[in-house]
Amino acid sequence: MSHQPVAIVGIGQTHHKRKRADVSMAGLVREAAQRALEDANMDWGDIDAVVLGKAPDFFEGVMKPEMYLADALGAVNKPMFRVHTAGSVGGSTGIVGSHLVSSGRHKRVLSLAFEKQSEGNAQFALGGGKGASIGAGGAFAPFIRAYIQRSGAPEDIGWMVAVKDRLNGAKNPYAHLKLADITIDKVKESPMMWDPLRFLESCPSSDGACAVIFTDEDGGKAASKPPAWVLATAMKSEPGWYSGRDAVNPQAAHACAQEIYKAVGITNPREQIDCAELYVPFSWYEPMWLEAHEIAAPGEGWKMTQSGATALDGDFPVNMSGGVLSSNPIGASGLLRFAEAALQVRGLAEDHQVGGANLAIAQAYGANAQFFAMWAVGSSLNPLG
Amino acid sequence: MADTVQEFVFNLTFPFSRTLGSTLSTFSSALAQGQIIGVRTGGRVIAPPLEYDPDTAADAGTDWVCVGPKGTVSSWTWVPEPTNLHPLDHAFGFAFITLDGADTPMIHVVDAGSESAMSAGMRVEAKFKAPADCVGRIDDIIAFVPALDPSPSEGAGAPYDAPAENEITEMDAFCDLQYVDNASPTTLMWSKALMEGRLIGQKCPQCARTIVGPRGMCSVCAIELDESHIVEVPGRGVVSNFTIVTPTPYPGQTETEPFARCSILLDGADAVIAQQEILDVPVSELRVGIHVEVVWAPENERSAADIDNRSRGSGGDIIVGWRTTGEPDEPADRYLDRMM
Amino acid sequence: MAPSENDIAIVGFAQLPPDRRTNLTESDLVLRATREVIAQVGIDKSEIGFTVSGSCDYLSGQGFSFVQNTDAYGMVPAINESHVEMDGAWAMYEAFVRLLQGDIDIAMAVGVGKNSNSDPSTLFTVEFDPYYLTPLGTDTWSLAALQARALIDSGKATERDFAEVVVRNRANAKSNPFAQVKGDYSIDELLAADYVRNPLRRHDLPPTTDQAAAVILARGKRAYDLCERPAWITGIDHRIEAHLPTVRKDITTSVSTRLAAEAAGVGKGPIDVAEIHAPFSFQELILRESLGLDASTEVNPSGGALAAHSVMTVGLIRVGEAANQIIKNGKNRTLAHTTSGPCLQQNLVCVLEGDQ
Repeated sequence: MSHQPVAIVGIGQTHHKRKRADVSMAGLVREAAQRALEDANMDWGDIDAVVLGKAPDFFEGVMKPEMYLADALGAVNKPMFRVHTAGSVGGSTGIVGSHLVSSGRHKRVLSLAFEKQSEGNAQFALGGGKGASIGAGGAFAPFIRAYIQRSGAPEDIGWMVAVKDRLNGAKNPYAHLKLADITIDKVKESPMMWDPLRFLESCPSSDGACAVIFTDEDGGKAASKPPAWVLATAMKSEPGWYSGRDAVNPQAAHACAQEIYKAVGITNPREQIDCAELYVPFSWYEPMWLEAHEIAAPGEGWKMTQSGATALDGDFPVNMSGGVLSSNPIGASGLLRFAEAALQVRGLAEDHQVGGANLAIAQAYGANAQFFAMWAVGSSLNPLG
Repeated sequence: MADTVQEFVFNLTFPFSRTLGSTLSTFSSALAQGQIIGVRTGGRVIAPPLEYDPDTAADAGTDWVCVGPKGTVSSWTWVPEPTNLHPLDHAFGFAFITLDGADTPMIHVVDAGSESAMSAGMRVEAKFKAPADCVGRIDDIIAFVPALDPSPSEGAGAPYDAPAENEITEMDAFCDLQYVDNASPTTLMWSKALMEGRLIGQKCPQCARTIVGPRGMCSVCAIELDESHIVEVPGRGVVSNFTIVTPTPYPGQTETEPFARCSILLDGADAVIAQQEILDVPVSELRVGIHVEVVWAPENERSAADIDNRSRGSGGDIIVGWRTTGEPDEPADRYLDRMM
Repeated sequence: MAPSENDIAIVGFAQLPPDRRTNLTESDLVLRATREVIAQVGIDKSEIGFTVSGSCDYLSGQGFSFVQNTDAYGMVPAINESHVEMDGAWAMYEAFVRLLQGDIDIAMAVGVGKNSNSDPSTLFTVEFDPYYLTPLGTDTWSLAALQARALIDSGKATERDFAEVVVRNRANAKSNPFAQVKGDYSIDELLAADYVRNPLRRHDLPPTTDQAAAVILARGKRAYDLCERPAWITGIDHRIEAHLPTVRKDITTSVSTRLAAEAAGVGKGPIDVAEIHAPFSFQELILRESLGLDASTEVNPSGGALAAHSVMTVGLIRVGEAANQIIKNGKNRTLAHTTSGPCLQQNLVCVLEGDQ
């Protein structure tokens, strides 16, 4: 939903790595923000407000780090806002930033999401600081098992996603994992992590940041590089646990997509959307989200993967950037999806560009597959004509 | 029967390790050599240095300046009873100390001996740890102490030539926080029943859903559930889904071998208990559809010490686990969707 | 008043009784506060178009702790929902901005904090500069005391003035059923107490409180369906300063509060009542000056943050109290303020007005 048009005129991200030993936390966020400013042809003084998002502060051991980072992000004497919606936080960081412009509150807003999780330990933080943490994969493995059973999908679908996303990542200069020589066999033979998920089907742990600069319609039109236009935003949440909950095909995932499609006028997502960046931290989530977001019919999502439709040269490319499987600074991953979708419709995705991308969607999810944030971006305000 | 536990102490300890980046590495490397530096930016010398100028957001740059080791106190306070996180274990002061050569103060500890020795304008001097113990962290300075000789620091204000490469690029940041939570009425209902060898849930009067491992509310209807909503559920059921975890090492990790956590759909209760352990099936043979029954710890060995407010249906040390009943498996596809 | 579609009002506010040590969980507290406010305005939960909470993982000692709190919303079918790692007052700000999108009419903002699980003199050390402050165990009371002494040394206030703030707020708190600390005290008896952090004494520090609160906001004409005399948000703004108090120009004044107050239009008219979040007594003096308030404004009739201080909730309660002055008490123009970070680093100001 939006009130006034919002343009994305600056996008920046860090070189994501397991450990960014060369920078402090401030240096990390600064790198992404500086790239976004350069992309937008702006300086710190041009930004009116900053929105920062990240996952639980236990990952770095600094409580509310945005307080410390105010200086680094040029936020002194400006509004600084901190969003935290678990795994979907990168998405909500983008959405809240865009709303500050669409509401007319501010003219230019910087949204930034990051994680410098090498300073701590992700499994520790996910397990609440206790032993026997099952990790995120441990929480989702049962859902994946159920999906495979329900859909009758062959066992290699997850491996295919893992290969596709890593090959895409190899084309993305910022990706953490650039596994250009990855193969199905390598994935299949990698150690089991959370049955049925193998090591190479699982996301890495990355340090990284992503920054997006929003401005209003005038700013979008005046931008020196093509802007992306925010066509619709949606955030939907459901309970993580209740008796009989379908966590495999969550209702919130459907509701979130339906709201986006309605706002943009999408009646046939498979045909009308040019490409998608979906939060796939574990391989099988590609077919699962294709179904939950009504791009594929129930039980058919895996066929899109199998047929090559979701490959970079397919007719519905998914995770052209390499996705979460290639880079996963947890708090930033959602905003990376949103930013990469915007890069596509701006025509600025270089080696992982989908030709003629005019309408793209991005999605991030969080917690027990219960929080969803999505947006649709276009090369114009009316890409469907 | 032992009492249920009222309070839970949780020590959040973790050895965080921070990479410093260029500015803080330069500062830390100099500090470890006994030299405090600041950076000149936007017309003032900020010490210790910041990476980015707070006024302009520009990079603060690399115009390093030697500052201290002496300085002048402006504001101050006194800590009569140090916490376990304070660097000294006897009473001390915190102060704004403007080091000679700097324009902005820093915050550090003043070991003045007594509160009455603290004053605005007092001259203090940095007291360092032995060189072998210096790691470049701000507490390499044990404390500032009243300066025996108040005269200006030698060399303060002179430029500092940073080496081409910094020796120190990381900082240890050990976290040591303690939390004390207390068992909520809902948690106590659960642990009391467990201690008595009973599994309970709460059934919502509005939607009729039962949640095992009561939560005190129905997350569908947003209504409070209390003792009146308690239902007994059987300690028998069918494995409906599971996760097998290959443990990764991290500080505080307790597992070394792959372990499994199962969801069990309880017989006749239309309710699932999650995160349970199956005792007599090797992890590699785990499957949906197995009939299982709960194994209770012997009464005199039961302890609710682990049943805290986050238990969410965990049986702690009271439920040892679940064992197979020997009945033939149920078809997996009837149960697989009931992970909740 | 004939509100436009962009006019947003607070139409309901509920707070739980403050508790020095509750045995309820944050989720329990959220359920109670939200049920109460929903019943107060007489709607069904399905009519709420957006729900957003403010809470803090580190405060509760568990990552993702807000996730359990969402169980209290009954999100079936799925709802529009968000969370900020900030006081509920900033959650309210997100709700305000969300309502301006124009597609929903009612929003709910929540603040919750079970503060008693942690020790404030150690917990907040990890909120400060991780390189220069945290390694020294620099605590929030010490930082406040450094600001307090700077205020005294500047000649702007004395320890007596600090005690006067405490006396006044505790006396005001007597008429507030939701106050934890209240009563009649004399300045001299307060000044006789030992310092905890010279020049601050225990009564100058905030109490530790477990609490939750919720507000309902409504857009345009819809506000009148829920409330006879809505508290219209005519101005709202928040600003942040440099993190280290030592690099700010003058910590005896609050630049960010002044900027936020200007942007929120505080000075455009008289302020009948100001609910100011001053966790440390002396900060009320700084904030009154920075907000540009004069003697005609009644400050903290609720007893303010010294009466109850549930971090993550206390700011939203200032908003609710200021709103109630309009909704229930016939006042015309009120102000709510909340703060976060060391030595008033970040501040939010909200101006509310009732129909004339």
